Amino acid sequence: MKTAAKGRTGGRRPWYRRLTEPGVLVWLILAVLIVFCISASPLFIQAENLRNVFLTQPIGLGLASLGQAIVVISGGIDLSIGSVISLLSSLAAGLYRAAPGIHPVLMALVLVALGAAAGSVNGLIVVGLRVPPFMATLATMSLFQGAVLFYAPRTIGGIPASYRFISDGQIAGVPFSIILFVLVIAACLSLMKGNRMGRHIYAVGSDPFVSQISGIPVRRVRFLAYLICGVLIGIAAMFMTARFGGGGPKVGVGYELDSITAVVIGGVSLAGGAGSLLGTFAGVLIIGVFYNIMNLLSVNAYLQIVLKGVVLIIAVSFYAKRRV
Amino acid sequence: MKSADTVLRLEGITKRFPGVTALDGVSLEFRRGEVHGLVGENGAGKSTLMKILSGVYHADSGRILLNGAEVAFRGPHEAQKAGISIIFQEFSLIRGFTVAENVFLHREPVRLLGHLDARAARERTRALLDEIGIELDVDRKADELSVVQQQVVEIVKALSVTASVLIMDEPSAALTDKELRKLFEIIRTLTAKGVTVIYISHMLEEVFEIADRVTVLKDGRVMGTRPVRELTRDELVRMMVGRTIEDYFPPLGGGQGPVLLEVRGLSRRGSLSAISLELHAGEILGVAGMVGSGRNLLARCILGLEPCDGGEIIVRGRGRPPRSFHDAMAAGFGYITDDRKAQGILGPMSIQENVTIASLGSYLSLGFLHRGRENADARRQMELLGIKGTGIGQTVQTLSGGNQQKVLVARWLLRQPDIFVISEPTRGIDVGAKAEIYRIMREVTGTGKAILMISSELPEVIGMSDRILVMRAGSIAGMIDQRAGQASEEQIMSLAVGHEYSIHQGGAP
Repeated sequence: MKTAAKGRTGGRRPWYRRLTEPGVLVWLILAVLIVFCISASPLFIQAENLRNVFLTQPIGLGLASLGQAIVVISGGIDLSIGSVISLLSSLAAGLYRAAPGIHPVLMALVLVALGAAAGSVNGLIVVGLRVPPFMATLATMSLFQGAVLFYAPRTIGGIPASYRFISDGQIAGVPFSIILFVLVIAACLSLMKGNRMGRHIYAVGSDPFVSQISGIPVRRVRFLAYLICGVLIGIAAMFMTARFGGGGPKVGVGYELDSITAVVIGGVSLAGGAGSLLGTFAGVLIIGVFYNIMNLLSVNAYLQIVLKGVVLIIAVSFYAKRRV
Repeated sequence: MKSADTVLRLEGITKRFPGVTALDGVSLEFRRGEVHGLVGENGAGKSTLMKILSGVYHADSGRILLNGAEVAFRGPHEAQKAGISIIFQEFSLIRGFTVAENVFLHREPVRLLGHLDARAARERTRALLDEIGIELDVDRKADELSVVQQQVVEIVKALSVTASVLIMDEPSAALTDKELRKLFEIIRTLTAKGVTVIYISHMLEEVFEIADRVTVLKDGRVMGTRPVRELTRDELVRMMVGRTIEDYFPPLGGGQGPVLLEVRGLSRRGSLSAISLELHAGEILGVAGMVGSGRNLLARCILGLEPCDGGEIIVRGRGRPPRSFHDAMAAGFGYITDDRKAQGILGPMSIQENVTIASLGSYLSLGFLHRGRENADARRQMELLGIKGTGIGQTVQTLSGGNQQKVLVARWLLRQPDIFVISEPTRGIDVGAKAEIYRIMREVTGTGKAILMISSELPEVIGMSDRILVMRAGSIAGMIDQRAGQASEEQIMSLAVGHEYSIHQGGAP
């Protein structure tokens, strides 16, 4: 059949065409941004700064953004991420205050379990009560933020050094947090690209109707996306509690919007069904580099927020054009 | 017939929707390895029947027997598991997924812990493609495939669960002739393997070419099942339409007035080719044609709602085509769409707000709406059109379909457009309201305005149109002037489905 045979190489486009795909383009943008930073400030290229920008800073937001990306790919959104992180870190600090002898591993597991529980709450509201994701997680954002303020209006310190191994420790000279992050992103990549469940998450986000008539349990898949996101948020909270050495209502502030920004810059479609986790990670790095160069150039902190909005608009409009 | 041959049997399938009986005691049998054509007018119940067969809908009564055993499906995937696969008119592929990923959607071959075995999926997809003799890259994404390639993927998806019955709903709608040949080849390969293919189509030539037997549905009933070779085209067309026109249509309008709208060579690549027409003051020009013939697209192009590639649209002698619907309104068009709920009424808003929404500019004084004048006009329109409701404050979503339609007519009449484009003027409304809408339409043209009416109901087209434009596959298949004598349903159908018709079929009664 001639007609069907034509364009057999469709899956393998020339390399230069692939550069315009959102998941690839974002790395190019990152590269351009880095070149700009190097020329704009001599401080940027210094080892201490580079380690901070590329190894230390991106982990918390990176973990949270992976969760956000999975939910967005499934066709949802999670606005409660920041408040869940704040709540979990406060609970961890509170737990340590009540029982200082808790083994760090147990504490870490508790946080992951609590994250999964928070994700389940979101999932149940979206799937069980059929509340649109935006509204559901806007409501739980308020719910969790209120809960943390009620529980601990101020920062609680006192996280023991044994627990802080998560952020400060090293194994054979490699920071433990890096190992943790690499493992998590590898697991997520394998889930989303190599696993049946990930395939279904993409399918449901892409076209719920087609998924349903193909027999995919659409509601269960949506719930699972929130559950997985919750686990990742739990891991993020686990890391950030260690890094800050405490917990409080402000630990996760801004993470919901920063994670959405990273996801969008990384080329994940807010309409669901498309995008990659690696692209999202590039988005996280872009945000980190952006904040960093703003600080190095001593741009006013409030002006930075304004500029962040501008960058987000440019990024989204750019992709919007690509898609049509 | 030998019952051993029967793979699928329907007994007394009845399905009602609010206000309509879509299927009325349909009994049918499909034999192993046959191509069974299913034909009928729009709304005859073909799609409903297929949706019941594939588990999208449930019958109110009746039984489905697959290989002699009664079955009930909760969804298409259950039907598919049992061996009945349907290829929908709108394809059910995930756009960003590859061929292999789509074929094994939800039945992905997996290894330990749900880890995908992509290679197995690709190899099995390749094997299935080989089976029907098609070469296709299994790694290509669905949205990069041509229509026939997408169809092939659907077929392979069905075969991957060993389909014994394959339902194809208007499979040729978007195919070129060459692609259609290929599709027929595939169908013959399948039937040779004992698969039963149910082929739904408006295109009678296709049915004559590919089908072994054909069943005609009309108004939700089976008119008969016949072997194709014992049937002529004329007989088939007669089985499909054969009915009389009800007598609630007002008499036709008077003579032709001046030309209000002239369309010259309007084209849109792949969907409209060189459409030319004239619309005169005082006339109703009916546009008939099958689903997908471009009849609605034509209207939307004229109204600036869809872009077109070429051609001229001349409104009252001025060659300024509407670039947007806003332009079209300014040029004197009014438009009532075929989708009253989604593209017509503002459901939660009041009758008054619905009626005046298209004319709000005329109620403004100093930037404020003059509610008194608005109310007065709405009240007058309500009375004029006989809208039955509790008052102008009633929300439109609580009105009956017929009254909602009248609200839409009232909305546009208030603007006093010169040219009314109305798509499916009486879809889903009862007979009484229908007659009133028809009367209003005639009154409108009586005042020197023109109506372009797109309709899938042949009696309506014949009963209301001064002239009938029949479309087929994006071009004009014929123009029938009814002032020279009434057209017959057969005549329009013949033009719409594209087999030559003889003049003596038409003619005045």
